[in-house]
Amino acid sequence: MKLRHLWILILLVATAPAAEDFFDRLRETLSVSSADGQIGARLSGTLDVESYHFQFPAPGLIYTPDTTLINPRLAVFCDTQLGRQFYLFAQVRVDRGFDSSDENVRTRLDEYALRYAPGSAGRLNLQIGKFATVVGNWVQRHGSWENPFITAPLPYENLTGIWESVAVRSSGVLLAWAHLLLVPPNAKAEYADKHLRSPMIWGPSYASGLAIFGEFGRLTYAAEMKNAALASQPESWNFDHGLREHPTVSARLAYRPNLMWNFGLSASTGPYLRPAALPTIPAGFGLGDYREVVIGQDVSFAWHYWQVWLEAYRARFENPRIGHADTFAGYAEVKYKFTPQFSGAIRWNRQTYGDINHAGGRRPWGRDTWRLDVAPSYRLTPQLQLKLQYSYQEEPDAAQPTRQTFATQATLRF
Amino acid sequence: MKPCSIPGLIACTVLLGAVAYAQSAIEGRVELPRARATTVINKRYEIVTKGGTLSTNPPLAVVYLEGDFPRPTAPAMVQMAQKDLMFVPTLLPVQVGTRVEFPNLDDTYHNIFSYSAAKRFDLGRYRADERPIPSQVFETPGLVTVRCDIHDHMRALILVLATPHFAVTSEEGRYRLAAIPPGRYVLKAWVDSRTVRSQPVEVVGNATLRVDFP
Repeated sequence: MKLRHLWILILLVATAPAAEDFFDRLRETLSVSSADGQIGARLSGTLDVESYHFQFPAPGLIYTPDTTLINPRLAVFCDTQLGRQFYLFAQVRVDRGFDSSDENVRTRLDEYALRYAPGSAGRLNLQIGKFATVVGNWVQRHGSWENPFITAPLPYENLTGIWESVAVRSSGVLLAWAHLLLVPPNAKAEYADKHLRSPMIWGPSYASGLAIFGEFGRLTYAAEMKNAALASQPESWNFDHGLREHPTVSARLAYRPNLMWNFGLSASTGPYLRPAALPTIPAGFGLGDYREVVIGQDVSFAWHYWQVWLEAYRARFENPRIGHADTFAGYAEVKYKFTPQFSGAIRWNRQTYGDINHAGGRRPWGRDTWRLDVAPSYRLTPQLQLKLQYSYQEEPDAAQPTRQTFATQATLRF
Repeated sequence: MKPCSIPGLIACTVLLGAVAYAQSAIEGRVELPRARATTVINKRYEIVTKGGTLSTNPPLAVVYLEGDFPRPTAPAMVQMAQKDLMFVPTLLPVQVGTRVEFPNLDDTYHNIFSYSAAKRFDLGRYRADERPIPSQVFETPGLVTVRCDIHDHMRALILVLATPHFAVTSEEGRYRLAAIPPGRYVLKAWVDSRTVRSQPVEVVGNATLRVDFP
């Protein structure tokens, strides 16, 4: 059955008069609990079908040499409560890659974690596993159902000239990897090494490790020790290396003066090169000399039908040979619910780069970029949501200095 | 009219018309389905500390008298609260024209909405101290499924009825409808969205009729 036919079938089923009741019954069927209610588990999930239309090369974390892409994704969540103190969750995805791509469909265990909360006041929670970072406020809404947009904000997907597989030996290499030495700009060359480049923060960063978090009144704290830096690629997130030798430590402190406002400060530091890059590191240096240091500030506001989020980050990629490579990125996002079922969101994104020493002078190590995203969404039922996104991006001197991207996303939640 | 407190909701509804027909009543028992699995909250990206995690949610039924009853002259007002990440009560029968308030008693936001054909609304996010408490008037008979856009495990039902004579059963299925005017009616037991049992009944003055729904 073709994907289009499958989706039409889902659309018909999900919008049928009895669909709401059917999905509520399905939800009960997918829940089990012990007789005393002390142990319970629930399966839930989302089925997404996304389409992208863009100019070559593909923007952000989209991987295809074409200018269109259809990306189906099934995410299944398991939430398990074991008494009052233990909580276990996992996320399995079936898709064409962690980020949208034209690869074959595969199945992955993206998240799994065990949480222990010894007290009832929430002051102390301990968590171990592979789970989203505590940094920032985007993680809480990165799922397709909650996210007002289809793509991530610029700090979470705009690729820089940093590779995690090879250490930069000179400023010229870094500028070349950032495609700044390509004159004239070449779209094919910009796409060719795309799989090697890293953004400031790679999406929700499901790296592996430990976390401690909790709340004291209006203050919330969270800290984690993980095996991969925020910029690391999904392949580096698995629980097989790096946690003991070269951990990444991140933390967030947030203050909520009332229900409407939330102010957060985040910081993170850890090596951005994976162990396989060791042979490329000059003698006398180690992975610990190539650290990504991130500091960030986030604000969120919600009241009635308005929701606003802001995040601003500065990331420093340390390199003992060329010094520090700094980049700044942030965004402001507003969502408004016009009717019970129709919402709209707009987001302004910006990323700039600091200077590095090169050829006797100083010059930026990336192209300053800004992007405007607009996304209307409509919920046909409590389980079915349609989303559109239009993005306009300017990146002077790139192969596509102005770029437009259209995306659609249909999400079925169960 | 002063809003009924949540625990007193059943008493409030049964008291309607009690002055005129103090002795006529119908009582009995409804066979309820097995208890459902308890709710598990999605805590993946949040710190969830208070309640709601493993509360039981026993099946209940609504027993009501179908007939041609006049609308109340003064609209009633009742409440469905959000407390400990649950709706309280989770099943609320109301007469057509009733205003339902949705107070948020939690220290976190909720976003109550319904896409049901009988009532479509979205209350947005509001603080516990905001006044007036967000509310909706339910004018169309039918079943309204109420949800929270933030906490996907939260779900409640409002059964909008064209009758003032209704009651929610106890967890054992027992019910009592009091102050029924004499006459012939159809007594119905709403068990779930697909199960409504009914029996014809005749109420005579100053008598208590026993009707069970096996």
